[in-house]
This record gives sequence, structure tokens and C-alpha cells, in this order.
Amino acid sequence: MVRFTLAKEIRDRILSGAVSAVDVTQAVLDDIHARDENLGAFLETFDIEALAAAKAIDDMRERGEELPLLAGVPVAIKDNMLCEGHIASAGAKILGEHRSAYTATAVQKLRDAGAIVIGRTNMDDAAMGSSTETSAWQKTYNPWNTEKIPGGSSGGSAVAVSAGFVPLALGSDTGGSIRQPAAMCGVVGVKPSYGRVSRYGLIALSSSLDQIGVFAHTVDDARLVLSVIEGRDDNDATSVDLLEPPTPYNLPPTTFANLRIGIPKEYFIDGIDPDVRARVEEAIDVMKKNGATIVDVSLPLTPYALPTYYIIQPAEASSNLGRYDGIRYGTRGDGGLNESYFDARGKGFGAEVKRRILLGTFILSAGYYDAYYKKALAVRTAIRKEFDDVFEQVDVIVSPTSPCVAWNMGEKFNDPIAMYLADIFTVSANIAGIAGVSVPCGFAHDLPVGLQFLAGAMHDEKALAAAAAYQAVTDWHTVTPST
Amino acid sequence: MDIQRIASLSRLQLTEDEETMMAAQLPEILAYVGKLQEVDTSNVDVKAYLTTATNVLRVDEAFLVDDAHRKMLIDAFPEKTGDALKVPGVFE
Repeated sequence: MVRFTLAKEIRDRILSGAVSAVDVTQAVLDDIHARDENLGAFLETFDIEALAAAKAIDDMRERGEELPLLAGVPVAIKDNMLCEGHIASAGAKILGEHRSAYTATAVQKLRDAGAIVIGRTNMDDAAMGSSTETSAWQKTYNPWNTEKIPGGSSGGSAVAVSAGFVPLALGSDTGGSIRQPAAMCGVVGVKPSYGRVSRYGLIALSSSLDQIGVFAHTVDDARLVLSVIEGRDDNDATSVDLLEPPTPYNLPPTTFANLRIGIPKEYFIDGIDPDVRARVEEAIDVMKKNGATIVDVSLPLTPYALPTYYIIQPAEASSNLGRYDGIRYGTRGDGGLNESYFDARGKGFGAEVKRRILLGTFILSAGYYDAYYKKALAVRTAIRKEFDDVFEQVDVIVSPTSPCVAWNMGEKFNDPIAMYLADIFTVSANIAGIAGVSVPCGFAHDLPVGLQFLAGAMHDEKALAAAAAYQAVTDWHTVTPST
Repeated sequence: MDIQRIASLSRLQLTEDEETMMAAQLPEILAYVGKLQEVDTSNVDVKAYLTTATNVLRVDEAFLVDDAHRKMLIDAFPEKTGDALKVPGVFE
């Protein structure tokens, strides 16, 4: 049975002097070196640097200095977040040797708060994928059953937490890339509202959809990280001021009294695995019995969220990925200037990335722009309005995170639409820029099921509070895999 | 959909297998996303942005990087002559 210790517990034990930060860091690194070979969560661990950072925390304690909020807490980061001096490849071959010249704001804020950055985790090629199988580097296996995918694109970060290596990990979520792998690996995954966490130093996939967020075992632990990383950053013009004070990390347990939970009928459709549906309905019953008010709501545009996503996302990705030409950094192609572009990009990107670059280029090409891209922006605006209207009636919306549990390795690899459908319940939050949280709510076919809480843009605390209240009356998050 | 033309616009070399696969898959994906035409958006006031931020400005000023960071950026060049980035010839 995997054992895990919460970030709060680690911090408290370091604060009290029960353990040293160096001992914690060394134990985490030893554990990864011993067990990760079979799981493939990490692409690299930053051993020397992590131990030095831990030593600095122990030295601070010895000098009697006040320790920061995340003092000595080990954190993993996704391979698309820059960390000065280290490789950040975004799971892509073209960036395989790319070393960062600066550190992402979210990562720097974690370090400033005393967190120990343990290493970088595997992900889908340029974050395109829902199973982490498109990574140029390695496969990542679901700790609950290593024949299954871990979800994606932040599969490595999900496994790093699920397998008990680290209590916390950063991921990025463009269409569900935190919440979906969190659901499939049985951990908490938080996608904050668009603009809430700075993306400076995050390798951009789709600029109007990307958001950095957190994996943890509990919502309280996730809050601890969010309270550190959120807020406006001058280096990211799309980051915004918080409406409320930062996410509180030391709130008393939340209750369901006065909580209005909306259940959208469009999220309980025929295509959903009946066992997944049953777990989610049981979770709704638990919340109802504990005093929540359940309200039936309707989001009629839900079936159009995924098609909207697969226009906007490839369009933006084809543009963002234009910079990867092997000229100033990355791997240079052969031939003259123009030839070298074709060669570097042809060799440096996998099939899924090529598929989306082609799709995005087509969508943005003369004659098709209005029919596809402009139409998608219009539907997107209408979807946001639909959510805004529903959040007038309810505090949060509850749904399944994914229509299915983790599938077999390779199963959907050659069927892009089947793969895309795994994100059908998560993309809406990115399309609308709202907050989403996935928490474990039981098992179907012996694999974890995720329960999704959505809250209005910049009202993340509502989704977090409701999810924390659910965890306070259930113990699914304490069940761990045997690998 | 002319895959070769789109690949050329994208500066993307495709293998023969990839070209065959894309020629089969991309029309299917386009048919799927084409569902959006069903939605009446005639009354939608289209917004491209999701936050209320408008005209986010900053002072346009150059700043010098220190030698260590300068070296990191230069070290990242795939090909160089001294400290200068070497690029493939434009005319050949």
C-alpha cells in the first residue's frame, strides 16, 4: 500500500523540528529512485539542488528564523514550466535539450515560500493528449493498474502525487489536463480561473485556455499552494487581480449548509460509463444528506463545448508553436533556412502535435477563418454567458470529471476523436475561463472516479470550499494504490 | 482538404504514413467541429477575452541581462560562431 503524508503534516513536522527538511527531501528522492522506474512519473529529479534548498531551510530553522509557509515541502513540476538552468521540454523532442534561462513565476513563488522543487514530470507532447502517451520521452503508468493510462496531459504530476512520491505537484490545464488525470489517478486536481495564476514561464499551448494549477491529496493542501502561487504578475498581462483575498489555507472545515449545488442534466448523458455515473450520483446524495441544496440546472450548449475547444485550441496552438523552428534554441533542422524549418518541425513534433498544427493552420487560413474560428469565438461567448446565468442560481456545479475511468495503454491512441471525448466534461471550464476542482469519489472497475466542482470565474473559493466539505465527510482520498 | 498545402503553410515535414493518416483523420475532425454551425450565434456579442482586463500596458524599455543569463541564452543556440547565432543560408 502506498503511504502518503500531507504537505501540511510535513511542514508542521519540519516547523516543530521533528524531522529535518534534508531528511524529508532525501527520503523523497530515494523513494522516486527506487519505485518510479515502474511508473515513469518523473523525467528528471533535481537531487543536488533540492538537497541544497532543503539544507537552507534547516539552516534557517537553526538560526531561529521564521520559516515560510511551504518550508521543506517537496513539490514536483510539469515539464512545461521553466526552472532556470534545467531542461524544460514540454514532453516534445524539439525542446529535448532546451535549458531554461529563467524560472516561471509559479515555480519561483513556490521556492520563495520554502517548497523544495524535486524534479520535472512527464507529460504529453507539447501538452497535446489525454493519456500522457504522446510524450516524446517515456510512458507513464497509472499506479492503480499499470496496464492503464494515467490520464493527461499532466499524467506525470498526477502519478507523482497518486503514488505517494510527493504531496504536491504543479500541472497545467488547457482542456482538462489537471482534472482528468487527477480523476483517473484518484487525487485532487485544481484548475483555477483563467488569469488567477501567472503563466509567465509556462510553455504556451493555447493562450486563451491554459492555466497552471495543483495536484494534491486534499483540497486543503491544494489551497496551501494556491494561496502562494495566485495573484497578478507584471510579467503576465493576462493575469488579473483577485476579487477576494487570496485563497485561505487555514479555514475551519466547510459545511454544506447554505450551499446550492447545481446538477446540469447535459453532464449525465448516455455516453457516460454507468458505474462512473453511479459513483457521482452517490456523491451528490452524500452532499444532499449533509445539508446541501441540490438544484437541477441546464447548460444547453454543453454538447458544443468540445467542438469549440477543438477549433480554438488547435488555432492557438498552431500559432504558439510557430516559434519552434530550431533557429535560436531547440534542435536545428538540416538544409537551407526554409528546408531547416520543415526538417526541425517534422522531426521534432509527434503525430498528435502535427495533427493539431495542421488543423489550426487550416482553420485560420483564408476562406475558413470566419466559418470555424470566428464561429467558435461566438459559441464560446455564449457558453460563458450560460455559465454566468447558472451561477446566479447556484454556488457550484457538480458533474463527473470524466465520462470514463482510465483506459488501457494504447486503446485510444490511433483514434483522435475517441481520445478527445475523454475531455468532454472538463473543456467547458477552460472555454468559459471558470474554476474547476476534481476530487476522488470512489471506484468503478477498480479504478478511481473523479467528481468535478465548477465555480464562476474568479470565485474559485466556492468550488474549493464545496470540494473540501465533500472530503470532510468522505474518505475516498485516503485510499491509496498498492503499487 | 489539401494536406500538402496546409503542411507547407505550417512548415511541417510529413512522412508518407503521416500524410495518409492526416488525410483520413482531419476531415473527420472537421466534420465533428462543424457541429457548431447548428448554434445560432446571430445575437451574440462576440468577445475574444475572458477577463475584464483592458489595455494592459507597461513601459517599453530595454534592460540588460547579466553575463550569466547572457551565456545561458547563447549556450541555447543550436549553432553559433563565437557569441553570434549562426543561421542557415536564406539563398541557396
